[in-house]
Amino acid sequence: MSAPAHRRARGRDLPARLLGVWGVIVFAFLFLPILVIVMYSFNTGRLLAAWHGFGFDAYASALGNDVITGAVITSLQAALGTALLASALGTLGGIALARARPRALWAAALTFLLAFTLVTPEIVDGIALLPWFVTLGVDGGLAPFNNGMVRLVIAHTAISMATVTFVVRARLAGMDRRLEEAAADLYASPLQRFKDITLPLAWPGIAAGGLLAFTLSLDNTIVASFIQQPGYTPWPVYIFSMVRVSLRPEVAAISTVMLVLTLLALALVGYVLRRSGESAGGVVKTFTGG
Amino acid sequence: MRLSRRIFGTAALSFPTWAYVLFFFILPVALVVWYSFGYKPDAFTTHAMDQLSFDRYAEVMQPTFLSTFLATLRISVVGTVLCLLIGVPFAYWLAVKVRPERRMLLLALVLVPFWTNFLVRTLGWQIILAPEGFLSGMLQSIGLLGGPLDILYTRTAVQIGVVYNYLPLMILPLFVAMDRAGATLREASRDLGAGRWRTLFQVTLPMAMPGIASGCLLVFIPLMGDYVTASVLGGAQGSMVGQLVASQFNTAQNWALGSAMAVVLIIFTLAAVALAAGLGLLARWAFQRYHRIDVTADDAPDSAGADVGGTAITTEGASR
Repeated sequence: MSAPAHRRARGRDLPARLLGVWGVIVFAFLFLPILVIVMYSFNTGRLLAAWHGFGFDAYASALGNDVITGAVITSLQAALGTALLASALGTLGGIALARARPRALWAAALTFLLAFTLVTPEIVDGIALLPWFVTLGVDGGLAPFNNGMVRLVIAHTAISMATVTFVVRARLAGMDRRLEEAAADLYASPLQRFKDITLPLAWPGIAAGGLLAFTLSLDNTIVASFIQQPGYTPWPVYIFSMVRVSLRPEVAAISTVMLVLTLLALALVGYVLRRSGESAGGVVKTFTGG
Repeated sequence: MRLSRRIFGTAALSFPTWAYVLFFFILPVALVVWYSFGYKPDAFTTHAMDQLSFDRYAEVMQPTFLSTFLATLRISVVGTVLCLLIGVPFAYWLAVKVRPERRMLLLALVLVPFWTNFLVRTLGWQIILAPEGFLSGMLQSIGLLGGPLDILYTRTAVQIGVVYNYLPLMILPLFVAMDRAGATLREASRDLGAGRWRTLFQVTLPMAMPGIASGCLLVFIPLMGDYVTASVLGGAQGSMVGQLVASQFNTAQNWALGSAMAVVLIIFTLAAVALAAGLGLLARWAFQRYHRIDVTADDAPDSAGADVGGTAITTEGASR
């Protein structure tokens, strides 16, 4: 049952080795399809899945294709809008929750509702927002809700706002309340206190939350495929429509570019969080939205 | 007076967030529930609400739909269990066995698939599992397969796809929980004479229980509503409820029936979660009863009444 102490200390016994092998296998499993996509982005054939030869043709033709670049630009614009709106709402919500009294009813209710948005399957968000936008925009005559970009930003904010709120709340949870009280005692107005004390303390959480909202929006297929309007097809929805017709290597080429950009953005988030003194576990918790 | 103003000020700060959740989440979802009591009057209208009934729910309960519901439930349960079986040893290895200076890097690597586009990852599997793909060729050339690989567009492919797509969501909370258990606590347990397995079962795993629970939730709930994986890998055989719901809105234009399906999906999901939570509590109760006997047998009797939660077991493991 227990190996000799000196062997255990070195951690080179059989169970530890088996665990190490398992770790390598799982990593291979996790990276296999990503490597395949990156590899097939260099496919010079006409169809993505049928390997023809190695070349950069797909990158060239993808960048020259207006439909593809248009879809990527739509996605980036929607992601930027989502990041801004979700950070604004999430910051207010997060600060309010962090400041709330321990048993405040409104805080518990808001936390519950936001958690509920996190656990609702995306398909439900999609089918709920489609009739809602039609009700508001077509039946209600509120023209902005017929605009494809407005719809994307609103829908993506609805699914990512909870993440930003929880990240900001977590960031401020350990904040020293006396800082704000001291500012109040020194006759700082509420607005000054917010601007000079609370915001600087919360900002790593806000920045991380905003970047998370950006990537969540960029990744979203399901909700966007329901609420999209002609002329505002985001990138994942474009790929999804191509799955039914035929996938070409261009899809893999742009995906590889987007992957590299996403990784850079995430490295930035991790860097910001680490610099603000977050532990490794805290960074992971932030990334998973809990 | 100042106190009351401050409290009001705090709640007021959250008003925009409240308004947004109510207006763009609660109201739309309530509308779906409302539509589910309506009907589709003719080919050109998506829904009508002049006669309310439960007829759409009766329609959902017909065998063709119900079999897809059950298939989805099976894929989700099997997927969650497989993620757990793959994830627990992996997270344990990452949190306990890997050297701390390497841990951050490996963790960052787990995050890469998590943040790669979901659809694109699934497309990767479509290429891998294709009958004319390289995996198929490889398996044939080493003699493991007689003919081309024949699992793309089947339920097996969907099962592989969902396990892959949701595995990071299982690993991350497991890692956080096992990491929190901490090296110090495990060392203490070891120093106090507990063997490796005893430390694993009485310190590390009980401490990881919240992580296991949240990992299962994070995998199971989105999996029930997933329709991208099944659309890309499933074909006609491996369809899931998400596709049924989507087709009612996109092609059949029957919002009433689609809404009823969505409501049933939510109820199914919550019921399964409640059932699992109940079973979990029962298992914990049984586990504690068993350990209470174990503890009283060779320890001071006063510790018998002390173990209320999983942490109590931990303290015992460490304090003996």
